Amino acid sequence: MPAVQMTGVSKSYRRRGRPPQKALDDLDLLVENGGVHGFLGPNGSGKTTTIRVLLGLVSADGAPDIRLLDRPVPAGLPDVIGAVGALVETPLFFPGFSGRLNLQLLAEAAGVSRARVEECLEIVDLTDRARDRFKGYSLGMKQRLGIAAALLKSPRLLVLDEPSNGLDPAGIRDVRELIRRLGRDGRTTVLLSSHLLAEIQQVCDSVSILARGRCVAAGPVADVLARGSTGDVRIRVPDAGAAAAVLAGAGFAVSPPEVPDGRTLLVHRVSAPGEITRALARQDHFLEELTPLTPDLESAFLAITGDPASAEAPPAGGVPTAPGGRA
Amino acid sequence: MSAVTERPAATPTDPATPAPRLGGLLRAELHRFRSRRFIQVLVGLTLMGFVLATVIGLLNLGAPSASDLAAARAEAEQFVAEQEDFREQCLQDPGRPDGVSAEEYCGPPLTLEDIGGEASFLDTEPFDLAGSATDGALAVAALSAALAFLIGATWIGAEWSTRSIVALLFWVPRRMTVIGTKVGVLVLAAALFGVLTQAAWLAMAGVLRAFVGVDEALPDGFWSTLLQTQGRGVLLTVFAALLGFGLANLVRNTGAALGIAFVYVVVVETAVRALRPRWDPFLLTTNALGLVQDGGLTLQYWDDQAPVTDGPQLPVEYFVGHLQAGLLLTAVTVVVVGAGAVLFSRRDLH
Repeated sequence: MPAVQMTGVSKSYRRRGRPPQKALDDLDLLVENGGVHGFLGPNGSGKTTTIRVLLGLVSADGAPDIRLLDRPVPAGLPDVIGAVGALVETPLFFPGFSGRLNLQLLAEAAGVSRARVEECLEIVDLTDRARDRFKGYSLGMKQRLGIAAALLKSPRLLVLDEPSNGLDPAGIRDVRELIRRLGRDGRTTVLLSSHLLAEIQQVCDSVSILARGRCVAAGPVADVLARGSTGDVRIRVPDAGAAAAVLAGAGFAVSPPEVPDGRTLLVHRVSAPGEITRALARQDHFLEELTPLTPDLESAFLAITGDPASAEAPPAGGVPTAPGGRA
Repeated sequence: MSAVTERPAATPTDPATPAPRLGGLLRAELHRFRSRRFIQVLVGLTLMGFVLATVIGLLNLGAPSASDLAAARAEAEQFVAEQEDFREQCLQDPGRPDGVSAEEYCGPPLTLEDIGGEASFLDTEPFDLAGSATDGALAVAALSAALAFLIGATWIGAEWSTRSIVALLFWVPRRMTVIGTKVGVLVLAAALFGVLTQAAWLAMAGVLRAFVGVDEALPDGFWSTLLQTQGRGVLLTVFAALLGFGLANLVRNTGAALGIAFVYVVVVETAVRALRPRWDPFLLTTNALGLVQDGGLTLQYWDDQAPVTDGPQLPVEYFVGHLQAGLLLTAVTVVVVGAGAVLFSRRDLH
């Protein structure tokens, strides 16, 4: 049973005097149970709209098949909402109430114990400031209270939209650690929407990438990264100039690195790296290093979403890894 | 396309999963209502206002002494004598028009009763519970209705401005349940507020009667009339709170709701009374008065579209009874609150 299943979901916003704006365009999304699923997309790609449709805040066009924890949305939402925690964009709390009171009111509405409120305040390290009014909190504290609210129900599905916003480095580390821990507990599925690609890469097991309201790539993070791979390798030789001539003569596309050092070369679109070794050895050039370049998620993301800058960007920005490994 | 990870599947139904319950939501909303600082301050200021009014009443009202009464009677008699001197001069005025008698020209002699007796010349008057209680209940109903409108508007308006009502939907996704619970809490709170202000008025009147009041027996049916007026005043308070709530829910802003109410009462109703007096019986404040005032409200207005008769044009009379006022206010409240609730249940929320 998937945690989230959306099939053919479209959403258009009517605009006065202008044609409707299509926020989601026949979107398919599947998030399997367990682990941390990243949700990526450029601004305006439809990430937040997707989350809002999923939580019943926004109605999709027509009657598409949307299921949350195996219940149809929005009709079945009341059956499963007790198992779904959410933080969408900014935390929405009453500014005049204390952090603790804000959580207690939500807990009362859902039949969650007061002890759980204290646990969640402890988890996000807000116990000492729980009596202070929400409006006096820093941005990071507000964000942590929002995460605490999302955790109150001990959710089976946790939806976090930009949870690191406003957090200091230590707070970001703590939140990422918390997300990883939740994703590993075998009970919780985390759907993490973030513009921090490094965060997704570090924390997520799988990822969906949205562009123009459609899901353009999805799968385990390693698979998505491999999809963005260009087959480039970096080699290190004693004489880069001579080696470049040899490889060019053998039909390879070669370029110097961004900062030429006379010893390093980038060889593009290599299907079999062993051919490089063979071609150079025939001419008595011997490799000191050969590293396949796996693009980081940012490069893959930009390539997949069709960002024009990425098409021109050299693969040198990639992160060298062992083949099949993760950065 | 899907992202598949190898993880143990969670069970579809988890007995530990908390579920939203109406009782829990009601308790939470009551807790939220009584925790609102603005509402606490407003209720506190209202009660302080009653205390202040009582103190002012105690300082400015009082039973006159015999010398106060004698001085007031002497002043009243002097006033009547002066007026009689003027009348005598008028009667001897040679410039009186032809064909007009002296009595017609100068009017009848003024008596002490015509000017309200010596009571009109007393510096301090005693508090008359029999004469003031019902009018006071009416004034208190108007005050509590205005404050209840503000409470109703801010109750939902603050939810919209902080968008905490959207956060609540993450917990209770049935929107009509959420809005219905908020309406229920408001009705309860407005009724309590109405009862509180009317009780405060009774307490204030009791104190004034005890210390500076007329010690006379109350007329038959006094308490029945007063309590019925106060009951209708509480009803008006509930209507006002709901109208404030409904308007603020429609426009999603407390300030805008207050602005609309101000423009309606000050501009629209004034314009209607001046330009279309026949519509006066259907205005909200007219019906509010007709609802609370003992015996309803009889309006008199000049209808420029009434058929012309040979005799003098008489004003049209229209009786706004409790039933008409109650039905009209109910209908308007249902429409305003209902429209806001239906829109809330259907709108996309961001």
